[in-house]
Amino acid sequence: MLSSPSQLPAKGEFMDKQERLGERSYKWIYDLKSWLIMLPGIVLFMFFVWGPLLQSVHMSLYKTRNIELVEFVGLQNYIRVISREDFTQALLNTLSYTFWSLLIGFMIPIFLAILIGETLKGKGFIRTAAYIPNILPGLATVLLWKAFLSAERSGVFNVILGYFGFEPMVFLSQSNLVIPIIIVTATWKGAGATALIYMAGMAGINPELYEAATIDGAGIWRRIRYITLPAIFNLSSTMLILQIIFIFQIMYEPLVLTGGGPDDASLSLMLLMWRYAFGGNMDYGRASAVAVLIALLLLVFTTIYTIVNKRKTNWDM
Amino acid sequence: MSKPLRTGVIRDYDVKSPSVKVGLVFIYLVCFVVVVVSLFPIFWVALAGFKDLQEYVSSTSIFPSVFDIDRYIRTWTQLNIMRNYINSFYAITGSVLCALLFNGLLAYGIAILKPRGYKVVNSLIMFSLLIPATIGIVPLFMNIQNLGLGGFFTPLWFAAGANAVFVVLFRQFFESLPSTIIEASKIDGCSQLQTFFKIVLPLSKPIYVVVTIFAINAAWSDFLLPYLVLGDGQWQTVMVRLFIFSTQQTVTADDLMRSVVFSMLPPVIFFFVFQKQLTQNIVTAGIKG
Repeated sequence: MLSSPSQLPAKGEFMDKQERLGERSYKWIYDLKSWLIMLPGIVLFMFFVWGPLLQSVHMSLYKTRNIELVEFVGLQNYIRVISREDFTQALLNTLSYTFWSLLIGFMIPIFLAILIGETLKGKGFIRTAAYIPNILPGLATVLLWKAFLSAERSGVFNVILGYFGFEPMVFLSQSNLVIPIIIVTATWKGAGATALIYMAGMAGINPELYEAATIDGAGIWRRIRYITLPAIFNLSSTMLILQIIFIFQIMYEPLVLTGGGPDDASLSLMLLMWRYAFGGNMDYGRASAVAVLIALLLLVFTTIYTIVNKRKTNWDM
Repeated sequence: MSKPLRTGVIRDYDVKSPSVKVGLVFIYLVCFVVVVVSLFPIFWVALAGFKDLQEYVSSTSIFPSVFDIDRYIRTWTQLNIMRNYINSFYAITGSVLCALLFNGLLAYGIAILKPRGYKVVNSLIMFSLLIPATIGIVPLFMNIQNLGLGGFFTPLWFAAGANAVFVVLFRQFFESLPSTIIEASKIDGCSQLQTFFKIVLPLSKPIYVVVTIFAINAAWSDFLLPYLVLGDGQWQTVMVRLFIFSTQQTVTADDLMRSVVFSMLPPVIFFFVFQKQLTQNIVTAGIKG
């Protein structure tokens, strides 16, 4: 920090051939050392992330017994997996999870952020309270909801139904309700934290914009429509794709709440993969085939997203 | 004129209108509902833990007939939850260290050292952000078994060292460091590794705090890979134990509820101790990411 870079001789100024060679080998050693520093992390990524992804593709082409690859079977695992009814069901369910999560899980944090942003007294408390479900372990919250939704008369929702004179319901056996219910529980956990991120985004809006808009005759609704929402547009499109990725890996919620039931009505693709692998069959080849199909679907989604998103930003320019 | 109080869409001058006043009441009502919905389940489970099995199954009241803390203590000792707490502590400590060291060094390489070809690694990491980690869990489990690493924390610790989100968080922070300081340390004769530990690390405390918090939370809450790795062995963490309780129905419903409370207690305490860092840092990290 003693001498500013400008006082040093500029690169190549006093360099003869020898020194330039020296610089080249110096650069080479620099690169090598840098790669060595990155190496442990890269090795871990290969072992835990990239390797298993490639291996999934590889394994999906083999018949497996326990943890051994027995013989190459081409696309047979895929054909077997896809032709079964539970795959169609799981695919439709996953799309249904995505639909409900976009309808409920995507909108609610934005509403929450706008509403909490308009409070004065108690704002900090409301924010903290809404955030708390997010810090709880996912498994614990699922078990909590399982108890809430219990078919017994003492299940919380049935107690509430009881107050209004209704008979107790077996919530988790309603095949058309089970996916929305799971999404509601996931939203309960995540909405507050997402709202916090939106609120931080909204805090960046210059208040003078609102005042200028008022002078131009814009009411509250139009200020939201033309100032607040555009300001969080980029953020929300990021959250959208993150949410789709998140919802595609939904697995332990149905696994613990319903086991995929009733009649596979809450079976997700990821849970189907889990079933093949760890549900007693130990059919790792077919499990990998399902994993690869999920990855492909996600790639399709993210590609569409990137294309649409690019077009949007181009219009904005 | 006094300083404006409201910083949101609704401005101070709007509040004069009666319809806006009604709207504000409505907003507070909704927020009240939000608070109740967020907190009620937590209070409910804590209270349910005071009930015995008979009462838990049949009573429709939120409140237990007696507040008998002994029921919690009995579950705690009978199921030997303490052992799982200690195991979780081991899992967390190793995971946090690995998460900080390996992801930090990798991000340092991508953000600052930038050796030839670093962009390949960067794109691979960005790509792995788009694919849920669970997708590779089957081959990963097989590899761990093949290497004979099952049954102990080692794979879990090192798994925390390969977290794409953490790398991106570190990378963004390191990129915002003034490059002159790093140049200067180079001129002063620091090696790359020295520059990292003497210059970059001390300047990056905020992001280290964020990643530490995330890593603690993840290591405490995670149970799929830990379940596959630790199984029925002696090193079960709290979450693995809870998962086994929930799938194998080896405990009664009231013990299960108390175990749920035990699993939520540390994160809640942790949250209230580090509340400020949590809400502040995570939001900034979220915005950047």
